[in-house]
Amino acid sequence: MVGLSEGEKHFIRGGIAQDLRADGRTRLQFRALTVETGIIPQANGSARVRMGATEVIASVKAELGKPTILHPDKGKVSIYVDCSPTAAPMFEGRGSEELSAELSVALQRCLLGGKSGAGAAIDLSSLIVVEGKACWDLYIDGLVVSSDGNLLDALAAAIKVALSDTGIPKVNVSLNNETDGEPEVDISDEEFLQFDTSGVPVIITLTKVGKHYIVDATSEEESQMSSAVSVSVNSHGQICGLTKRGGAGLDPSVIFDMISVAKNVSQRFYTLLESAIAAAEAAADE
Amino acid sequence: MRDLHLPLNQTQRVRLEAALHELQTLAPAAASAAAVTVADNIPVNHEDNILKGHGTTDQDGEVVATLCGVVERVNKLVYVRTLRARYKPEVGDIIVGRVIEIAPKRWRLEINFSQDAVLMLSSMNLPDGIQRRRTAVDELNMRAIFEENDVVCAEVRGFQHDGSLHLQARSQKYGKLQRGQLLTVPAYLVKRRKLHFHHLEQYDVDLILGCNGFIWVGEHVVVREIADLKEDEQKLSAEAETFTPIETRRHICRLANAVRVLSALGFTLTVELIIQTAEASVSSNVEINDMLGAEFYVQTAEREAKRRGDLLGKKR
Repeated sequence: MVGLSEGEKHFIRGGIAQDLRADGRTRLQFRALTVETGIIPQANGSARVRMGATEVIASVKAELGKPTILHPDKGKVSIYVDCSPTAAPMFEGRGSEELSAELSVALQRCLLGGKSGAGAAIDLSSLIVVEGKACWDLYIDGLVVSSDGNLLDALAAAIKVALSDTGIPKVNVSLNNETDGEPEVDISDEEFLQFDTSGVPVIITLTKVGKHYIVDATSEEESQMSSAVSVSVNSHGQICGLTKRGGAGLDPSVIFDMISVAKNVSQRFYTLLESAIAAAEAAADE
Repeated sequence: MRDLHLPLNQTQRVRLEAALHELQTLAPAAASAAAVTVADNIPVNHEDNILKGHGTTDQDGEVVATLCGVVERVNKLVYVRTLRARYKPEVGDIIVGRVIEIAPKRWRLEINFSQDAVLMLSSMNLPDGIQRRRTAVDELNMRAIFEENDVVCAEVRGFQHDGSLHLQARSQKYGKLQRGQLLTVPAYLVKRRKLHFHHLEQYDVDLILGCNGFIWVGEHVVVREIADLKEDEQKLSAEAETFTPIETRRHICRLANAVRVLSALGFTLTVELIIQTAEASVSSNVEINDMLGAEFYVQTAEREAKRRGDLLGKKR
């Protein structure tokens, strides 16, 4: 991103203080959101989410694997995010590693829960095929195609949409003695099982600039931030995760305030996302 | 329309397509004949030996375009001027650029050209306004005039012998731009006109349409000695609550969104069209942010189609 002059920075800060940002939004308003589903035919589920000039792609790939010995009744999910060098010149080479790792960790925290798999947004026990022998491994990959701020929220939304687009093939298991107790699996090409994604949260990032905080910050606005709090909220309005970026400290009361704002905003974001998905489905039907 | 990612519903899509089709039929036949895409034949008269220029190649005796754009003919030379290319400066153009480096006796500016432009200290008006030789002290104080990342307005002075581009800013109207926003649009959307600086008095806003596709929308500043500006800057760094008045800011945002909508639709940006679009949004009670919504895009395209249709009707 190119730098900003003092005058422009001052203008941005002033806009946030006066509740009228550079593109006419108020502090708690999102940019236009568009969603496309099923964009990668090879993947089990995929989605593209655009928020203004930010564009991200998420794909879900399911593979048969073996559950770990410690948790024989649970499948495995891994999340990895990559930033395309086309998004910004600074992502070229190894430049994106730090940001990719940060985004991956934040998403893992919000979606996967603890090491044991407890508290995960995705029901891991639904991924099991034969207990202790076979399970589905979900590989969730995010790609930042174009970056204009608020990447974490866009990625979380894309993953949520991709998961709801995901169909896991139905498996017929036949156990026989000839294969030494190893199950023989027959993957169906026609029948797919949908996932329950109602528990998958969205992430709302509140970026603090000056005395106020904003949602869906552009990269120009992010350059002026003192700190940012990302709250992941599920559809019942419960908080699933919390991460904070930026060096500046926050008063505990501000954090509580931010959480309650994020909770309210998330309900609006859910309706936005749902209408975007409905529009995407309508477009796909044509 | 590949850059438009709008959540259009069924009726909006039909309306937008109708408006765009209308615009296409209104375009003069000569213009559509001159537009080529890759591998299109360019009709030439083979009797007078022509010169094949940029973006053309010879294939089986025919001249074929290797780029998308508009065919230009200058005497014998035939070349393709690409639309989505970088800005090509001409002497006298008014441009808006961003300082990226301070070098000995010069600033380097990014202006969306294939190379960085150079603004020499000697082709600048000094803060004290006196014409004199630039001393070493002036050179050391260059950061007081422009810093890195500052947005600067200047005029294209000419090309040097080594091919580098030189700028000048020898008037009070040129110089640093503060308190506003910089928008970037494709350079071909800004046509060269007599006036590029616009002070929109009704809004108290300055609008500068740089020929290089950089557009500045900001709070109006009274032209004055730069000595006063320095004082102003100290205030600014102290972050006293000297923010742009909310009323002016509304106008700035509205005009900026008008520019965004028009450039996304690929309409040539003139000050009249920008003001009309902003006024139309006010009169149809569209919120500033909703100007970037699908409905306003469709309305703008329809209005432009109607306007061009009326213009053509009058001519006939």
